[in-house]
Amino acid sequence: MKKYILLIACVVCSLMASAQAKKPTLMVMPSDAWCYQNGFMKEIPDGEGHAKQIPDYEEALRTSMDLKLAIAKINDLMAERGFPLKDLEQQVKLIQQQTAEQNLVTSKSGNEMAESPIDNLLRVAKADIIIELTWDIKEQGPKRTLSYILEGKDSYTGKSIGGSNGTSSPSFSADVSVLLEEAVVAHIDNFNNRLQSYFDDLFANGREVALEIRVFADNAAGIDMESEVGPNGDELAEVIDAWMAENTVQGRFSKLGSSENYIAYEQVRIPLYNAKGVAMDTEAYARQLRNFLRKEPYNIPVKVLNRGLGKCILVLGEK
Amino acid sequence: MKRTILLFALAMLIAMPIFAGAKKKAEKDTEHFRYEIECAGNGTQGTYLVKVWSYSKRPKVAAEQCMKNAVHGIIFKGYTGDNGCVAQRPLAPQPGVEMEYEEYFKAFFSDKGEYYKYVSLTGATQEIVKVGKEYKVGIVVSVQKDELRKALEQAGVIRGLGSGF
Repeated sequence: MKKYILLIACVVCSLMASAQAKKPTLMVMPSDAWCYQNGFMKEIPDGEGHAKQIPDYEEALRTSMDLKLAIAKINDLMAERGFPLKDLEQQVKLIQQQTAEQNLVTSKSGNEMAESPIDNLLRVAKADIIIELTWDIKEQGPKRTLSYILEGKDSYTGKSIGGSNGTSSPSFSADVSVLLEEAVVAHIDNFNNRLQSYFDDLFANGREVALEIRVFADNAAGIDMESEVGPNGDELAEVIDAWMAENTVQGRFSKLGSSENYIAYEQVRIPLYNAKGVAMDTEAYARQLRNFLRKEPYNIPVKVLNRGLGKCILVLGEK
Repeated sequence: MKRTILLFALAMLIAMPIFAGAKKKAEKDTEHFRYEIECAGNGTQGTYLVKVWSYSKRPKVAAEQCMKNAVHGIIFKGYTGDNGCVAQRPLAPQPGVEMEYEEYFKAFFSDKGEYYKYVSLTGATQEIVKVGKEYKVGIVVSVQKDELRKALEQAGVIRGLGSGF
């Protein structure tokens, strides 16, 4: 009897766990504008003989106590709301460790792996939503005012989730850290309201993701997006479009661009759960499309490249 | 002596319905959002500092009602920003939520009910203004919005930020 009760309890628990949608991860980062204004930029070669400026998060975290305080405060307030954030400083340390390992990897001709710091950071952190933080102090004689912007961005679709901004009342005595802490405390609820609206929309209309379909050059299957596949002679791009229309919430998706080599979809609304009631992310959704394409009558081999909770790339033609 | 007691009892009998009537009217005013709520400064972490104006024929009733109105306002009304304050949306902005959870809020806003746990006086002086036949009383109070939000989340009135995930 006890055995049956235990079994039933296990089944109920696993069902409950699978009924939870996948939780997006959030991370607070200083905005590019703040990094530029405060001199936390570094130059990297852009591959075309020019130098490109990118934010130096490591240096910013090492030297700006105000930044550390603001991030710690936001992390603290979000944890209070039951939504702990990923910590930028820890992620930077992880990247350093990974970079040290990557530096040891070279090609046979001695070339190192190419990767920009932001690609590296996002890849390691896998933050689905980036909370960009900007502030600026303006001084008028002895008075100080702090202008503050907190903006959430979906790192895969690039869409702004919403934000909160404002200017503090002038202060004669408060230092930057006090003004900043006050601003964070005062604005976090408005930011969370926007975030809640974003989550409500997600539950009502499905998760918004991006999907890219590409083909391997000179692939073994000999296909591209204009290849006529299937019994009706439809082009591959049309077959994929029809599958997308059938398998998105209310048929909602936008085609960003297409050619014989690629199709880019954005604003793809995928259901939060699959037919079995199991939580789904972009990779699980992309695998459904892969399974569709590799079956009869198409028989197309597909490689799925996961780019986080919100983006996947399917490469057709080979594995 | 007997006459004094009788007179006192009679006076009590007359005064009690008047007091109860004023109280009842003030309760009705709350239900119909007849109060004003404004930001009174930046509260400490987890709190909102607000000034609430309530109406009653008796200043004492209006003053008592201010605490209830403050919590009611934070839940259903929110407030606009001014003088360096940041505007805040209500904790439960969904239309019709007060009717949907009528029983819960009836108990919540009963005299010295659960609402009382989340509001405290700041010690600032009351402002009393005579408006026609009634008084408008303004008091600055502090509302523990984080605790209040948690209570509403637990009751299922509002969704938590991480709920559903």
